[in-house]
Amino acid sequence: DPHRTGEALRAFHTAIRSSPGNTRSQAMKEQAQGTMLKVLTSFKSSEIEQAVNSLDRNGVDLLMKYIYKGFEKPTENSSAILLQWHEKALAVGGLGSIVRVLTARKTV
Amino acid sequence: MAYHSFLLEPISCHAWNKDRTQIALCPNNHEVHIYRKDGAKWSKIHELKEHNGQVTGIDWAPESNRLVTCGTDRNAYVWTLKGNVWKPTLVILRINRAARCVKWSPKENKFAVGSGSRLISICYFEQENDWWVCKHIKKPIRSTVLSLDWHPNNVLLATGSCDFKCRIFSAYIKEVEERPSPTPWGSKMPFGELMFESSSSCGWVHSICFSASGSRVAWVSHDSTLCLADAGKKMVVASLCTETLPLLAVTFITENSLVAAGHDCCPMLFTYEESQGTLTFGGKLDVPKQSSQRGLTARERFQNLDKKASSDTANATLDTLHKNSISQISVLTGGKDKCSQFCTTGMDGGMSIWDVK
Repeated sequence: DPHRTGEALRAFHTAIRSSPGNTRSQAMKEQAQGTMLKVLTSFKSSEIEQAVNSLDRNGVDLLMKYIYKGFEKPTENSSAILLQWHEKALAVGGLGSIVRVLTARKTV
Repeated sequence: MAYHSFLLEPISCHAWNKDRTQIALCPNNHEVHIYRKDGAKWSKIHELKEHNGQVTGIDWAPESNRLVTCGTDRNAYVWTLKGNVWKPTLVILRINRAARCVKWSPKENKFAVGSGSRLISICYFEQENDWWVCKHIKKPIRSTVLSLDWHPNNVLLATGSCDFKCRIFSAYIKEVEERPSPTPWGSKMPFGELMFESSSSCGWVHSICFSASGSRVAWVSHDSTLCLADAGKKMVVASLCTETLPLLAVTFITENSLVAAGHDCCPMLFTYEESQGTLTFGGKLDVPKQSSQRGLTARERFQNLDKKASSDTANATLDTLHKNSISQISVLTGGKDKCSQFCTTGMDGGMSIWDVK
């Protein structure tokens, strides 16, 4: 259903764009994490690759940070879909994107 | 390309003599060994034993043929060849942590040592007292200095530190040189003056390098990034988030291209596009081994699945020449503007010479 896919993609880009870059507020961060997790888990497996390919380098790095944040706080079904996101993001961002999750001084 | 395995342990650091017939290296201990090329073989001709801690940096001055070494024993030695023996002269660095890197200045009348004391010791020879003295550059360095490179004007010094920053300082020593003329990095260069400081990346700056002209400086950080500051463009910084593991060494090979290597065990090419202000990855320089890709039998697949939870054997062995991280790159021929050959040493104890086409 292209309409649903389009919506998921738009929600994804919105979540990426509105990620609070420089905030110290734990509450804001958690809210953004929750939103991102909801968006990521709403995707069908087949739609993930297209979404990842629509990101620029900084977007892929940001996505990887949220994926690992999602791994940190697993919910019922989150890990399975996050692992699929991880596989696609890794294919585009390479190990470097994971290194930058580990070295980032500003966490998401 | 040619690969020689010197050791079974990491080569901590290395330096070449002027005509590239001899290489001085630290075999992961307190000594420096010098090897000479004899046809296709390498023969060890000297063992320099003076340091009480691991030797972390070696530099070989091409014109005066002097060696300078620094180590975790907080000391530096200048070595002079007398007959067939290398004689050390202790240089008091006045630091209370390990020395980490050392470089002769282009005119070889000074050398700089970076250390865990969060400062740089600029050492020069005082004729009257017949000994080496040093001045410190401290502010605003906040952590260990991991890497150094001199500007061709013999005064400016680029440094990379564990406080995530690249900086360019003036290391002007009035006792040994004339006042320098203005450069694109600035005109007033009193000793210790900070000419440039990068905004924080998120990784320790492992290696830093001036281009041959000195108007560009590039560095690699532990967050898998490569950055370049262009003085000709108001010191604007171009950066590239790489897809690789962190790079540990970088050098310019032309004014617009760089070779870097690190934990992925192979050298990689990068190019700087001046008009766009962008850095792009230009590919790996390692030629993969012609491995026989015969198909796996069903039995072999099952065995792999059982043992390694994967039936894919592609990543079982390293295809690269170096079998462990590359920690240092040196330009052999052509200089940093027209490099035709460079050398890599790594944690696999091997040394490789690469041709640039």
